[in-house]
Amino acid sequence: MVGPMYDCLANPLGAIRLTFEKAVGSGCEPSAFDGKDWGALDVFREFLVDQGNLSQVPVLNSETLKWVQPNTLVRFRGMVQDMLGNEFYAGAYKDGSGWRTNKFGDDSQQPIDSSPDVRVWERRLLYCVPVPGLNTWAESEAASEATVTSMDLTSQQRDKRQRMDAESMDYEVCPGSNIVLEDSPSAKRMREDGHPSLSVQLSDLKPEGPCSSTMMRPEVGDSPSCLVKVYDTRESELKLNDIFEFVGVFTIESEPVPADDGDDIDLTTGFRNDLVHLQANKVPCLHCIVHRKLAVSDFLRSSPIIEQSKHVVMNTRESLLRHLTMLLGNDGVAANYMLLHLLSKIHARVDNVAVGKLSLNLTCLSKEALSVFGVQLCNALRNLLPFTDSIPLTVNYLNTACLGPKKDYQRNRLIGGTLQLAEGSHLTIDETQLETGTLNSVGIENARLLKDLVELQKVEYDFTYYKMEMAADVQLLVLSEGKSNILPADIVLPVRPSDVSRPEVVSAEALGAWRWYLATMRTLSHTIESEIQEVVEKDLVAARQADRRIGSKEFSSLLTMGRLMSLSFGETTLSLEHWEMVKELEKLRKERIN
Amino acid sequence: MASDSSPARFNNTPSSPDDSAFSSPIGDTISSPAAGTSRRNKRGRGRSAATPPNNHPRFAGSESTPTPLHHGGRPPTPSSTSEGAPSSEAGDDMDEAAPTFVWGTNISVQEVKSAIQMFLKNFRDAQSQGAEIYEDGKYMKAIHRVLEIEGEWLDVDAHDVFDYNPELYGKMVRYPLEVLAIFDIVLMDMVSQINPLFEKHVQVRIFNLKGSTTMRNLNPSDIEKMVSLKGMVIRCSAIIPEIREATFRCLVCGYFSDPIVVDRGRISEPTLCLKQECQAKNSMTLVHNRCRFADKQIVRLQETPDEIPEGGTPHTVSLLMHDKLVDAGKPGDRVEVTGIYRAMSVRLGPTQRTVKSLFKTYIDCLHIKKTDKSRMVAEDAMEIDSSTQKHDEDVEFDEAKLSKLPDIYDRLTRSLAPNIWELDDVKRGLLCQLFGGNALKLPSGASFRGDINILLVGDPGTSKSQLLQYIHKLSPRGIYTSGRGSSAVGLTAYVSRDPETKETVLESGALVLSDRGICCIDEFDKMSENARSMLHEVMEQQTVSIAKAGIIATLNARTSVLACANPIGSRYNPRLSVIDNIHLPPTLLSRFDLIYLILDKADEQTDKHLARHIVSLHFEDPELAQQDVLDIATLTAYLSYARNHINPQLSDEAAEELTRGYVEMRRRGNFPGSSKKVITATPRQIESLIRISEALARIRFSETVEKHDVTEAFRLLEVAMQQSATDHATGTIDMDLITTGVSASERMRRENLVISTRNIIMEKLQLGGPSMRLLEILEELKKQSSAFEVHLHDLRNAIATLQTEGVVAVHGDNVKRV
Repeated sequence: MVGPMYDCLANPLGAIRLTFEKAVGSGCEPSAFDGKDWGALDVFREFLVDQGNLSQVPVLNSETLKWVQPNTLVRFRGMVQDMLGNEFYAGAYKDGSGWRTNKFGDDSQQPIDSSPDVRVWERRLLYCVPVPGLNTWAESEAASEATVTSMDLTSQQRDKRQRMDAESMDYEVCPGSNIVLEDSPSAKRMREDGHPSLSVQLSDLKPEGPCSSTMMRPEVGDSPSCLVKVYDTRESELKLNDIFEFVGVFTIESEPVPADDGDDIDLTTGFRNDLVHLQANKVPCLHCIVHRKLAVSDFLRSSPIIEQSKHVVMNTRESLLRHLTMLLGNDGVAANYMLLHLLSKIHARVDNVAVGKLSLNLTCLSKEALSVFGVQLCNALRNLLPFTDSIPLTVNYLNTACLGPKKDYQRNRLIGGTLQLAEGSHLTIDETQLETGTLNSVGIENARLLKDLVELQKVEYDFTYYKMEMAADVQLLVLSEGKSNILPADIVLPVRPSDVSRPEVVSAEALGAWRWYLATMRTLSHTIESEIQEVVEKDLVAARQADRRIGSKEFSSLLTMGRLMSLSFGETTLSLEHWEMVKELEKLRKERIN
Repeated sequence: MASDSSPARFNNTPSSPDDSAFSSPIGDTISSPAAGTSRRNKRGRGRSAATPPNNHPRFAGSESTPTPLHHGGRPPTPSSTSEGAPSSEAGDDMDEAAPTFVWGTNISVQEVKSAIQMFLKNFRDAQSQGAEIYEDGKYMKAIHRVLEIEGEWLDVDAHDVFDYNPELYGKMVRYPLEVLAIFDIVLMDMVSQINPLFEKHVQVRIFNLKGSTTMRNLNPSDIEKMVSLKGMVIRCSAIIPEIREATFRCLVCGYFSDPIVVDRGRISEPTLCLKQECQAKNSMTLVHNRCRFADKQIVRLQETPDEIPEGGTPHTVSLLMHDKLVDAGKPGDRVEVTGIYRAMSVRLGPTQRTVKSLFKTYIDCLHIKKTDKSRMVAEDAMEIDSSTQKHDEDVEFDEAKLSKLPDIYDRLTRSLAPNIWELDDVKRGLLCQLFGGNALKLPSGASFRGDINILLVGDPGTSKSQLLQYIHKLSPRGIYTSGRGSSAVGLTAYVSRDPETKETVLESGALVLSDRGICCIDEFDKMSENARSMLHEVMEQQTVSIAKAGIIATLNARTSVLACANPIGSRYNPRLSVIDNIHLPPTLLSRFDLIYLILDKADEQTDKHLARHIVSLHFEDPELAQQDVLDIATLTAYLSYARNHINPQLSDEAAEELTRGYVEMRRRGNFPGSSKKVITATPRQIESLIRISEALARIRFSETVEKHDVTEAFRLLEVAMQQSATDHATGTIDMDLITTGVSASERMRRENLVISTRNIIMEKLQLGGPSMRLLEILEELKKQSSAFEVHLHDLRNAIATLQTEGVVAVHGDNVKRV
């Protein structure tokens, strides 16, 4: 057992150094560790996973940033927003007689008489930002509890925490619902609202929880962006826009890079780009020891209570559908479509076709109507899904906003646009505010970007000399008065609200169950039996014979709906019953359109 | 070269082989260190290295310091050529007589030297081998040429080095700093042998390495190695003058010091006047005019899109350019760079001697080549893209194999847009367009285009646009535009005023930009009349002529046009002709070689196909579907090879078949016993046929057009014409439909109508008598001729004809005989 030997939390570098010295001491040449680990990772893995200490590691956010000591272990959840290439560093060097390592640290105390006994190693620089559109509940849950499955919390603690979360959620739901949605993304307001409720909870928590968790309980606020240095990973492991949890050594690069002194000027004028722009003082830096890719479900509380039994799924589906129906003014059809929409996820790409997307355009929404349930809807979505964002589509917004990510060569950084979203984000576009006006070239470009996103689920990144298309997986909900011309959604559905009811207060248990339901069901795999396939094909052919306007696009959305319908029941094969339901739904929708 | 000079030479270069590598040869030829002024340290490559003086030993540039005393020939300096140094250092324990080695390696300096000498003297091209055995080798000739033009560098193809001496090549790539230093020395020796008076410093530039790496594969093991990579220049710094030699003047007595050479990135400023009589302290000041500077530039290179894996952002790397390489690349250029990958440590602060544990990496550029062939630097005559040639040879092998397949034509057809099923004949036509025919220019100046133009007309939702997109992706060059968004000038060329110089400049439009490529125009029917009319010239003459704002020019636009259009009223009306359906002027329509109608027939079989396709898309692993097709990369390679290398000629047999078929087609228009003559083929068709059959031969990689190519061409043309030029009244092909928009049978009908109308008017109306209403005439007509239907519309046309003949006068609906 190595456990007690090292203080992984407060002095991770010490642990790293010790393991390194041990490894070297046992006769290994440092050159053997080029791009390899010498056993330090095992120590940390054991500490974090096997001993379940992940929750003790403070989460890096604006609050913790104030007191977290450099060279201690922290964790950070964020989206890879930009990749800054590789960095070479003196990984191991001989200091006097012994070898020392620089890995996972920024040891600038390298003596000037650098011996030739320097192993140059490389690490990758990733610029990570908090997940765009991350909702308060997901943020707080991410911070408050560890999602590592092996984490061994006593059930007592868990219950308490859940109760606590539940209360805070009640707070979140109510106040937000009366606020009229305005231009600015209202997530910020949500946070403000969330604040008091959470701080109230804090006092409750203190006496009960393990003492470390009190300090982890964050004041929910903007987490900072973070420069993450990743060691020894394959390139394919970390992709742009992926969400990761990094655990590593926290440092702040202390000195601004100076640029004077004769010779340095020439070099820095050219080479400055890599580091200076980051304003090292502002951006915290994390030397990643362990990283883990996060899926949507990782932002939920791991919920072993909810068994994936058919019964539970059915019940959850029912109650969620009821909730959605209520939200949409007692419009059952719209609620059904909304449910399918929320479950959609791209599962394959063939050429230019993103299979599995189901963008929804709710029409017949005037500005007034929107102020009633548009806001309700947005708030509800925010409570259901971990990452949501909304765009008010006005001429002014289109003309000024920076939707597509763009590379800024002056700063050598990728400037993230609004459309640089993590996989599985939900984006609401409110077109009801669109008035007549003239689009300038920026506006046209932005409209095109949105259209591409809706049609192809791709976002074009502008690298000035060329553009690159990046695949996206974003659920798109368009709210408009008539059928949206800018954004050709898969499903156009006029809403027929019959009754506007006050939003009910949703219990936290139900919310938790719904979140779990939406996150889990969408990841299920799906197949089709050959008999059903026959039926489906026949139906499609018949539909096309009846109406020549039906083309491959309509076929695609029908099949997607079929798939999502059976997923919504927790089934992994398409059954005839569900297929009939889809056809019925489509029939009702067609009637509304005509 | 005299062997005794070599140790001395190396004395100059102990610890900074790379600095000295490029500067030392001069130092050697001039034996006295005092003659430093004439030392032309133009080659600055090594300079950069000298900047951070204290970090990495090999960067400790004691550039061309004549005395070995104070440069750090420290024992561990990995790269110092420690031989022969009259060593005052502990590490130089080598015997003077022993063969000298590059430190830390088993590279013997002498061996390398002689290897390089042998290579330069004896290397001959494979082609010239044997034939011109008495002639000088390739590089001897090159050296002579360099001397003649007073050049400053010698380009050396790394492939040649490899062919001649693989061992030398290996050493060069692994220890470029050392080997290049020796290379330069050998070269200078040879130069001074040939022309002792030659003053310039000739350097070696290596290019075309055997293996090129990508930016993201650069890793620590590449440091100090020679690498070659491709990328795109994104930023160039301003030109940085870098001091090489400094001259100081005493403020007290006006004494000028000897030029002081940069030593390890620093100029040691004399603290007191060197003049014996003066010796004033701290009086020396820098005289800028007397200093020598070299150009330096820092360039950022970024990965090209094709090298970026999914979910990654482009990597960048810095290049250091010196002297002649400065400004060799502009932002936006795609270049291939050969250079030495270097890492440099960063000092904590300008005054601190400690360094950060980080390294900055960059590439010391040796050679830069623009990969865009058309813009290749003209002066680098030796660079006629031999790398791509080599590449071609491999590809050629694969493709020759491919082209031998009996079903290559079908296979290519299948591979074209595999996710669009059916439409095989359309795809065949598009394939022909991609391969293209031969352009021909007669001595008389008449030219015939080789490009095939295709128009797709069809119902919405028949994947026309997808086909277009696909072809656009595949075609070697090309622009994709949409009809509605294109203006006439946007397609051809426009004149704008340069904001800086206020001069009028010509900007190319889409058609000009897709010269030698395919210009895809979507929504052709929605194009403005004005824009469309610009296409007339492009599609037949293949040029764009402009006369505006003081610029009169004719630009080449040898482009194939692939257009697609929706019929008027969104659905194709089979009762109307193509012209009526798409509302395009016949003059333009006739310029399309192939016109395909893609109709959405209510065919259950196709629907089933579609349904199955989409179901499988949703529920099956997309990887499993579609084998047996060529991927896009292969297809493109095949295509470009064929386009560049195969120029098929008509065989006699094929020509005969062509003539026979054409006559046959013409004859079909003559119905025995009928006065009406239908034109079924025009000379334009025979040109099209030639083009198509040439393209078909190209697909097979065949240099001759065979008879079956012509037969297939006829079939393709017929399929296309049958769809578009069939006269629905008679069921025959009628080219008049396309060339004039009116079929022969229709014209007959109209003439008949005019005659019978005239008869009625002559009968019923008196000269100057009462007028008659149009509807009454219509009634009469219907009574008389029950054979065909008469519409009011047709009648009006007929009356209008009569009016021009001066038979009748029309007032509103009333017809009066005059």
